[in-house]
Amino acid sequence: MYHFEWSVLWGEWGLRLLDGLYVTVKLALLTMVFAFAAGFVFGIIRWTRNRYLEPICWIYVEFARNTPPLVQILFWYFSAVYILPHWLFAYMRDVGFEFAAAVFALSIYHGAFVAEIVRAGLNSISLGQVDAARSLGLNFRERMLHVTLPQAIRVLIPPLTNEAVGLLKNTSLAMAIGVTEIAYQTKYIDTYTFRGVEALVAASALYICLCLIVSGLGRLATKRFSRHVDTRRTMRVTALLSE
Amino acid sequence: MNWDKVWTAGNLERMLVGDLFTQGHAGGLLLTVWIAGIAIVASTVLGMLLGVMRASDRSLLRLPALVYIQTFRNVPLLILVFWAYFVPPYLGIETSKFVSVAVALTMFTTAYIAEYIRGGILSVPDTQREAARALGLSAAQIQLYVVLPQAFFNMIPAITGRYIVTVMNTSLAFLIGLSELTDIGKQINVRLQTSPIEVYLTLMLIYFIVNRGLSAGMRWLEHRPRFNHLFLKI
Repeated sequence: MYHFEWSVLWGEWGLRLLDGLYVTVKLALLTMVFAFAAGFVFGIIRWTRNRYLEPICWIYVEFARNTPPLVQILFWYFSAVYILPHWLFAYMRDVGFEFAAAVFALSIYHGAFVAEIVRAGLNSISLGQVDAARSLGLNFRERMLHVTLPQAIRVLIPPLTNEAVGLLKNTSLAMAIGVTEIAYQTKYIDTYTFRGVEALVAASALYICLCLIVSGLGRLATKRFSRHVDTRRTMRVTALLSE
Repeated sequence: MNWDKVWTAGNLERMLVGDLFTQGHAGGLLLTVWIAGIAIVASTVLGMLLGVMRASDRSLLRLPALVYIQTFRNVPLLILVFWAYFVPPYLGIETSKFVSVAVALTMFTTAYIAEYIRGGILSVPDTQREAARALGLSAAQIQLYVVLPQAFFNMIPAITGRYIVTVMNTSLAFLIGLSELTDIGKQINVRLQTSPIEVYLTLMLIYFIVNRGLSAGMRWLEHRPRFNHLFLKI
């Protein structure tokens, strides 16, 4: 039977894990911001079916969703210097290239998933709503902000929460290019102390806590955004319709 | 761009089958598909079992499934791979990279499939179960022949998405040094040094084709008449 020695985690090695936690949280938050922004833009464009932009968005979404995030991270890490404009690359290099490349690649990967979620959520709004708003003379921005998105956001939040949890977990892939987040530190501790099991237990616990926090926030948001919905009435209507 | 340096016969052969013909052990795309196939089949079977438990009324069945799903859905696959690869030797168990990755991937995917199956089971109307009971089917028969086929059928889009993610997740095996597609790609990139764009775009293209094929196959399954026959033959 394995003999646990928890004292490894107190002191320097434990601090390393906490360092990793900080990097993971920073990476996840930044990626979430970019992925959600990209996802909403591309999802709305796909929903509107703009004749010129839609094919581009379709190619982006299909390609980003069907290739492994790890390969995408490696791709951007090795070839950003040839592809990205020089000012962007210089900026990424200045903030720490491994970290910036991980944010960039993961944003692209998860942005595609968010785009699909947003498109599906917008499709669930009946077109009558949009037509009514149009007949009232609202322009595109007003229709989106005041009619479509407020209704869609209720449906969107649960899948977006799942996506955020997935994103948080996928930040662990950034260790492949040497970002010093939790998984990286775990392997580091294993290499130098041969106490990998304790480090793994601690890392798993940290990830579980982080994910539960994110899904808890998502549940709060769901409740917050559905407070206007009378569930009993909706259920009664659904029951009537299904009979 | 010098594609001809990347797309040589030797490189393509290594990407598709690894060192199968030169040294006799499979790698590359073949290994990727092999791991993904094992994980997909195993996690579908286990996920159905766990999903039925999760949707059950008895807390003795429901709670273990709940704990399993919540634990394995909230830990990154990479950490699970580390668990399956680094921990068994401490306990005196021999393991290989291949087995570690397959086990970790299966356990991870099972949690997701179980959650989808549970959603599918909840979407099957109660009248179906009542009708089956009226016909005299046993509880196991009701689950296997009536509820599960419909649950699986209802959730095919979500399950397809998870299968695709599973195929993509096999690339994590590269982090513990198993020579599947991503690892071969990295070796080629390291050897050539000058053309990362071409190498990684090739990798992405291969994964893309496999995944599109997989989703086309699932769509065919969804539109197949008499989908239930799949289950009746089990």
